[in-house]
Amino acid sequence: MSSLRHVQRCLANAQAHHGLNAFISLADRSFLEAAAQKVDSIREPGGPLNGKLIAVKDNICTSDFPTTAASYILKNFNSSYDATVVRRLRESGAIITGKTNLDEFGMGSHSTFSHFGSVKNPHNHHAQQPPSAGGSSGGSAVAVATSQCWASLGTDTGGSVRLPAAYTGTIGFKPSYGLLSRHGVLAYANSLDTVGILARTVSTTRSVFAALNAHDPKDPTSLPPSTRSRIAATTTTTASSSSSAQSPRSLRIGIPTHYNPTELSPSIRTTWHATLARLHALGHTLHAVSLPSTPAALAAYYVLAPAEASSNLAKYDGVRYGTRAAGPDARGGAPGAEGQRGAEAEVLYARTRGEGFGPEVKRRIVLGAYGLSKGARGNYFLQAQRVRRRVQEEFDTVFRVGNPLRMGVGPGELHGGLQTAGQGKDGREGEGVDVLVCPTAPGLPPALDTLRERNPVDAYTNDVFTVPASLVGLPAVSVPVPNADNSSAEGEAFPFVGMQIIGQFGSDDLVLDVAQALEEQIVNDRA
Amino acid sequence: MQSTTKLLHDSSETHRAVFICHSCLRTSAVRRNVRRSFFNSAIAREEHIAPPELGATVPFRKLLKDELKRQKLRGESKKSKHAPANRLLEKWELTVGIEIHVELNTAKKLFSTAATSTNQPPNTHVAHFDAAIPGTQPQFQKETLIPALRAALALNCTIHRKSAFDRKHYFYQDQPAGYQITQYYEPFATSGSVVLYPHDGIAELDHPSITIPIKQVQMEQDTAKTLHQPPSTHLLDFNRVSHPLVEIITEPVIHHPATAAACVRKIQSLLRAVDACTLGMELGGLRADVNVSVRPRPQLGQEIALGQRTEIKNLSSFKAVEGAIIAERDRQIEVLEAGGSIDGETRGWTLGGTQTTMLRGKEGEVDYRYMPDPDIPPLLIGNDLLHHLQMTMLNLPDDLVMSKLASTPYGLSVLDAIVLVATEDGDRLEYYMELVTQLQGLLSAEEFTKARAGKLAGNWVLHELGSLLATSDISWHDQPVKETHLASILVRLIRREITSKTSKQLLAMIFNGDPRPVEKIIEDENLSLRPMSKEEYLSLAQNLIAENGDMVRAITEKNQKGKIMWFVGQMMRQGEEGRMEADKAKKVLEELMEL
Repeated sequence: MSSLRHVQRCLANAQAHHGLNAFISLADRSFLEAAAQKVDSIREPGGPLNGKLIAVKDNICTSDFPTTAASYILKNFNSSYDATVVRRLRESGAIITGKTNLDEFGMGSHSTFSHFGSVKNPHNHHAQQPPSAGGSSGGSAVAVATSQCWASLGTDTGGSVRLPAAYTGTIGFKPSYGLLSRHGVLAYANSLDTVGILARTVSTTRSVFAALNAHDPKDPTSLPPSTRSRIAATTTTTASSSSSAQSPRSLRIGIPTHYNPTELSPSIRTTWHATLARLHALGHTLHAVSLPSTPAALAAYYVLAPAEASSNLAKYDGVRYGTRAAGPDARGGAPGAEGQRGAEAEVLYARTRGEGFGPEVKRRIVLGAYGLSKGARGNYFLQAQRVRRRVQEEFDTVFRVGNPLRMGVGPGELHGGLQTAGQGKDGREGEGVDVLVCPTAPGLPPALDTLRERNPVDAYTNDVFTVPASLVGLPAVSVPVPNADNSSAEGEAFPFVGMQIIGQFGSDDLVLDVAQALEEQIVNDRA
Repeated sequence: MQSTTKLLHDSSETHRAVFICHSCLRTSAVRRNVRRSFFNSAIAREEHIAPPELGATVPFRKLLKDELKRQKLRGESKKSKHAPANRLLEKWELTVGIEIHVELNTAKKLFSTAATSTNQPPNTHVAHFDAAIPGTQPQFQKETLIPALRAALALNCTIHRKSAFDRKHYFYQDQPAGYQITQYYEPFATSGSVVLYPHDGIAELDHPSITIPIKQVQMEQDTAKTLHQPPSTHLLDFNRVSHPLVEIITEPVIHHPATAAACVRKIQSLLRAVDACTLGMELGGLRADVNVSVRPRPQLGQEIALGQRTEIKNLSSFKAVEGAIIAERDRQIEVLEAGGSIDGETRGWTLGGTQTTMLRGKEGEVDYRYMPDPDIPPLLIGNDLLHHLQMTMLNLPDDLVMSKLASTPYGLSVLDAIVLVATEDGDRLEYYMELVTQLQGLLSAEEFTKARAGKLAGNWVLHELGSLLATSDISWHDQPVKETHLASILVRLIRREITSKTSKQLLAMIFNGDPRPVEKIIEDENLSLRPMSKEEYLSLAQNLIAENGDMVRAITEKNQKGKIMWFVGQMMRQGEEGRMEADKAKKVLEELMEL
């Protein structure tokens, strides 16, 4: 297909699905068509991204569109530079179609906390009430699900790529932390923030991943070449240890027994079991694994992510950029000098930040600031750091491969890492597992109008399956699997369930291999 | 930039040549009337402690530290009987801790490749990250570590192999990110010290020296410059944002305002000497915050917790440090005397003012919500870098004086050098160096070397003149023996024109007010040495040996060699005034007793 035709189809879809509110900024038709024609005019075959439309979540900087993070405070902000991931997309020949809607600064699970209005899910199983598209990368997921673009970039801090993928029936891939550059990504919680990819097929996901996966000296957390080659060595070791020449070889699939909360919906449970059965049929073996810190991981996440958010969002004061409240917004002389004319008048930036941030962002800033405060830090922030470390150690005990970040460079140590990996403390015999398979979310997408009745803590529990991989920086992908639940009304209404594949740090290719095998089997089933 | 670099270079050249801060010397022009027993103790010490040779192996500061430790062990009080005039100061004791922010001498900012600058047009040296542009991340500039490490080494700190950066949160217009990147949980250097001497300008009550422990040294970012344009406009210049700083935090151990000022001054001079910083306080290169508290003065053996402290921020001169502390001390004492209590608040001080003013009350206290910066990996400092810096570091001012005094023409022992440096605001050192210069002019090079005149002069300044001072009511600054007097005496002694005894006699005469020139006294009193002949020595010695058979037997049979000095003493007493030389007498005696 020519690029022009691809662009025109996407634009037609964009027009048809305008009401889903997937985009905050969309490029002009004429601009996109001209760009496509230019690609088509060059006879040389480009790479897989050449001439393709890719949408970018609006918390990733672009020099040609505003970058709003769906916030009032940045509604008119124009970045002077492209994020490294955007630059790499352009260098691969991709055309940026526009900026997608999201939860403000990435904080939310349903893409409803946006200054530009909620994103709506195209799969409407609730009849009159549109379901949640998931968040925070809901716009990117919907744009892909409705073919308004070829692929899109999202960001995943605690599940923000995987959850909307699960809710919209798309592939949502969160690579290992540090593989894709965050330079130009507006920080929410930088120790967790990861650029992710949404696409309709695993092979598209792979192509985009390959274009972006490189060291970036502008991001101090970008893995340097030395670590990347160590990861490569680890995965090579795994591959050679497998005698099978087939692709995919027989893998050991882990089933986290603690990922089975009471609130798991019947559709999800049934589809999970069906998915495991499919994998077993493909020749993989299934193994129960124990990750007992899972509930604590969710709590730790909701201490750490808001703490970092309260820090990262302190820069939005309206002084150098962004929307600023009218009138003076500074301390009014010495405290008490103005009498009791309202405490707000005496707090610097209180008006700008009060007007500029939405309710969820404010809630998380307050939560995070509390967790870091003098009296609470020990019980909250520092305790959460310890939980995070424990979660990592638990993951390391279940995987066959050692964590390359926790191994020395020397081959001896590498060997040692391999030997200790997989020795579960439950006394499990033999090797560890290659990947974990579990649901992406505990339930099907809720109707948007029921969300308002939920309290924030209920909303946060929705992230229980996605947060552990985020805390440890593991690669994880959500794959849509046909809903296997034929018994309940819910099951009949919604066509698919997101299943998550999680791998050891650096096993990004393996995770995508399993996703692809699953995807192929589903396609074969349909045929 | 060119001219700036040059200027800074010149100033460091000048500094290298100076061995004692000139302003110290100037302030010492105000003569003080203090007496101490430091000389006696210094002399007494020599009997117990063999002075270590000043070799390349033992750094001066370590020797000094050891010496001060010994001094402390002996329980020598640093306090003189000199009581403060003010009754209230007798009742209340001041305690001060200091935090000093120093702009490091670096080409780039701490976390961006933007150039550092001092007098460039506003907002011309600002990287995206410095202005907290969304999506940007810190890029630690490792070169900034070099002056930071030099500073920490100059302050005798323990350097930690691993340290980390944290965010300190507060909103202010000069702080674009809403936080400052600093080192809170794991600073790169801790447990240092700086030693202050009279020539540093410390309070008399802290003489002869005081060691100020340095709690920690941390790297951090500077803030923007704010230009307030009344009534409500603040202009911001981000050139200074993220200029690398070190913050130096002392323990709260300082009890005198002058010593606090001296501490800041000394730290400035140390850091300039090792090229860690370029601009002085007067140009904004250093800023100090002081924590001030008062408590009832503890009696011997009594322990009283420090009082509630207040913080006085942003002091930009040594004078301001001293002035602000005095004013705040007096304010706190006044409040406490009136039965009030001190609130933990932040206060300000304007130079020329008489009172500190409240900036922020306790209720306005900021919780900085320290958080490790997730974007910055831990800082690892290799031993190879540390070694290299230690090897290539410029000499510190005190080290320079010491190594100079240990080498030709001076050739002093470490202990003598310490005493010279540590007393009389450096005046005695200057006196000594002038004396040596004069001796070099009066003696031939050969005479000077053979007599080890530098060391001899040191003995005379410290011990001969020192013991006269110690047993009289005359202070150093009032004593009448000038360098020319002493040079004149020593030249004659070296040339054996007078005996050792005569030379001491001459010194005592001039010390006690004899106004005549040395040569006139010698002439008038007939003190010139007219050497006795060998026969005269022999005849005196033979008589003494014949009269004291028991003593001779004790020496020759019981091997009590020390008793020979009794004979020498007898010969000196019996011999003609000013003609008998002890060493010759001893030699003759030994010959006769066949020793």
